[in-house]
Amino acid sequence: MNRRQRLAASAAALALTLACGPAAAETLKIALNADIRSLDPGVNRDANSDAVVLHIVEGLVAYSEDASVKPLLAKEVAVSDDDLTYTFKLRDGVKFHNGNVLTSADVVWNWNRYMDEATKWRCRNDFAAGGAAHVVSVTAPDDKTVVFKLEKPNALFQATLARTDCGMTGILDKSSFNADGSFNVPVGTGPFRYKEWRKGEFIDLEAFADYAARSEEKRDGYTGAKRPLVEAVRFAVIPDRSSAKAALLNGDIDIVPDVPYADVEEFKQNADTAVSLATNPGIVALLLQTRDPLLKDMRIRKAIAMALDTKTMVEGITLGLGKANNSLIPPTSKYHSPAQTQGYSYDPEAAKALLQEAGYNGQPIKLIANTRYSNTYDAAIVAQAMLQQVGITAELEVLEWAAQLDRYQSGNYTAMVFPYSGRYDPALTMDSVMGNKDKEPRKVWDDPDAQAMLADAVRYSDPAKRQELFDKLHARFLETVPFIMLYNGLEASAYQKHVQNYAASIFSMPRAWEVTIAE
Amino acid sequence: MLRFILSRIGMAVPTVFLVAVVVFFLIRLVPGDPAALLLGDMASPESVAALRSDLGLDKNILTQFAIWLTSVLQGDFGTSITTKEQVAHLIIERFKVSAGIVLVAVALASLVAVPAGFIAALRQNSRLDFTLVSIAALLLSIPTFWLGLVILLIFGLKLGWLPVVGYVSVAEDPSRGLLYVLMPILTLFLHEIGVLLRMARASALEVLRLDYITHARAKGLPERTVLWRHVFPNAFAPTLTLIGLVLGNMLGGIAVVETVFTIPGLGRLLVDAIFGRDYPVIQGCLLFIAVIYVLVNLIVDLCYPLFDPRVKIT
Repeated sequence: MNRRQRLAASAAALALTLACGPAAAETLKIALNADIRSLDPGVNRDANSDAVVLHIVEGLVAYSEDASVKPLLAKEVAVSDDDLTYTFKLRDGVKFHNGNVLTSADVVWNWNRYMDEATKWRCRNDFAAGGAAHVVSVTAPDDKTVVFKLEKPNALFQATLARTDCGMTGILDKSSFNADGSFNVPVGTGPFRYKEWRKGEFIDLEAFADYAARSEEKRDGYTGAKRPLVEAVRFAVIPDRSSAKAALLNGDIDIVPDVPYADVEEFKQNADTAVSLATNPGIVALLLQTRDPLLKDMRIRKAIAMALDTKTMVEGITLGLGKANNSLIPPTSKYHSPAQTQGYSYDPEAAKALLQEAGYNGQPIKLIANTRYSNTYDAAIVAQAMLQQVGITAELEVLEWAAQLDRYQSGNYTAMVFPYSGRYDPALTMDSVMGNKDKEPRKVWDDPDAQAMLADAVRYSDPAKRQELFDKLHARFLETVPFIMLYNGLEASAYQKHVQNYAASIFSMPRAWEVTIAE
Repeated sequence: MLRFILSRIGMAVPTVFLVAVVVFFLIRLVPGDPAALLLGDMASPESVAALRSDLGLDKNILTQFAIWLTSVLQGDFGTSITTKEQVAHLIIERFKVSAGIVLVAVALASLVAVPAGFIAALRQNSRLDFTLVSIAALLLSIPTFWLGLVILLIFGLKLGWLPVVGYVSVAEDPSRGLLYVLMPILTLFLHEIGVLLRMARASALEVLRLDYITHARAKGLPERTVLWRHVFPNAFAPTLTLIGLVLGNMLGGIAVVETVFTIPGLGRLLVDAIFGRDYPVIQGCLLFIAVIYVLVNLIVDLCYPLFDPRVKIT
């Protein structure tokens, strides 16, 4: 045995003892493609931060699997007839990770903290004066009751409280903060408690033995059954996709929440791994600057929509895993009615005729794309080729993500393929794309009539009324082509077969509760 | 000697200052707004503007530069925009990780490549020389990310000897820590062998052709003495310079290897900061790397007289 062989042998022996350690077997290891920003709910965050934090903290209400809002820390929510008063009854026996019992005073205290400007809570403006859901008072008439009073009715009040990017308006124990009021570590009521965060390496959580489970038997989005069934969870930061794949294949990692579509078949074929797919409400769209000298002509925009065979495009870029959707409402939503399945009509000949009518003769259209979100780049390539077929010259301009976001925010572009992060209520999704371009240049659907319909969809909570409005909005969206909706985000998660009951979800964030590891 | 060191450091001050200026203004010329990136695609203009003013990005750019420079001169590199951590602390923590791996890899590569290069030169045009040069050319031309992935596939996946992802500090747990750095060290080691072997061979060949070697041989010195007294020390000097450059280059620039092997090092910190437009971290990292370059080259210069008596430090 030479030196190198000896070294390798001893390394192998060490690795073996490590892999077989008793503690390791009960730790669920989930890959994250980047480190989290912070553990402060809804303050300094991105999707990965939300994914981790929402294992630790919980809010009064949460999104369920079909994106409706259901109670979580609340037992029940009563809404007054005038839609202005929301009364939350808290569940009994809910404990924080340090053993303190959750009371209505905690909720009021947290609310005041969130609404304090110094907290820099992301969602403060929605609830502050002038916001869509202005909360005028929050009171605690008894230990288990919290009453929120709104200035005017808002169907999205609970949906905004539950937003994952708002940190679910998570209720924290006061021990989460330093003496000077600054955030330290989250002490919440969630199924897992915070243990350690090694920057750039991992975040360790451990099961919270006293977790007050809800009575539902099944997991339901971010509410329902949420029992911690593994001893610990490790979110391991693995930026490189190939490394994450190798780690899953050799067993160093149990779950990779987002694998490339190209790897799905391999993970399905592999005897040790399985795949779970879920469509999220994030929209991938071909944005068209309606103030561009060329694209302000609706006929040209319509011609572009007619030139794109979105069905074939999406099948191609998702390798048959995803489906095109020309509606802003995702197929998983209860509002995705038959009317919403109506899409653009693919008709190259009609497109050519429209272009001729509009007097288009080959003026180049710059199409911006980025390679960070690789399937949106693929969409841009396919769109370019399809546009070519009807005689539209699309020139691809590949930018780095930060640069593209800059152009998006300023509205300084002709066309771009842009991925939006998910919002779970259709009105929230529409609100993020609709608005006055003079006030907010990033808005891509500037249409006062449509805006009025959206305002009604925010005002009324009656589902039938909202459905009607959403269907009308969709018809108008197809008719005026402010931009082109291509498909919803699709997440492919791969996991070891010994991981039981794991599933990708519309949230595109890994969930460790109710998941077990088989012997 | 001390005067030499001090004057060299003095000479480095303008260089580092220039780096500071260039870095500060260049990164701000790159499109992309840290506040918008931080808040995401659905942020309202008001919240972006509020965050910009919080971060001081709404101030005049010259004012921003003055504030930053004053803090840096007081040893305060600011805090990260994304994680709110102290930049100086971040850099030191990450640098320790990268430096450990790089120093070991370069030391091992030098120990193997320099003698191998000399041997190849002595046996110029032999089969051994040809083999060594071919291996070096091959190693040099393989990109490190690919080499890293292949090593990961072989040792991590096929043989299952080493953990594929994760990192444990060697200082914390030496035996486990070693497991996690073996593959990155091996990757860099193999790559640098290619660079150093070719340089060592070329310098040795050059020296071997010189008159004083012929003279030494002619006056009847044993070949051993010729090599050890005249060839090797003189051939080593240019290689030393190259080792210095390689070190300076790698101490801040092994982001690719760090990404493949999930090592939380300085290179990854810098790359992540660039994508996130984390100005204080980018500025801090690049300034730090510039200082490292200066220091490594200073150390190399100080080592010169050991190998080349003609060089005098005054």
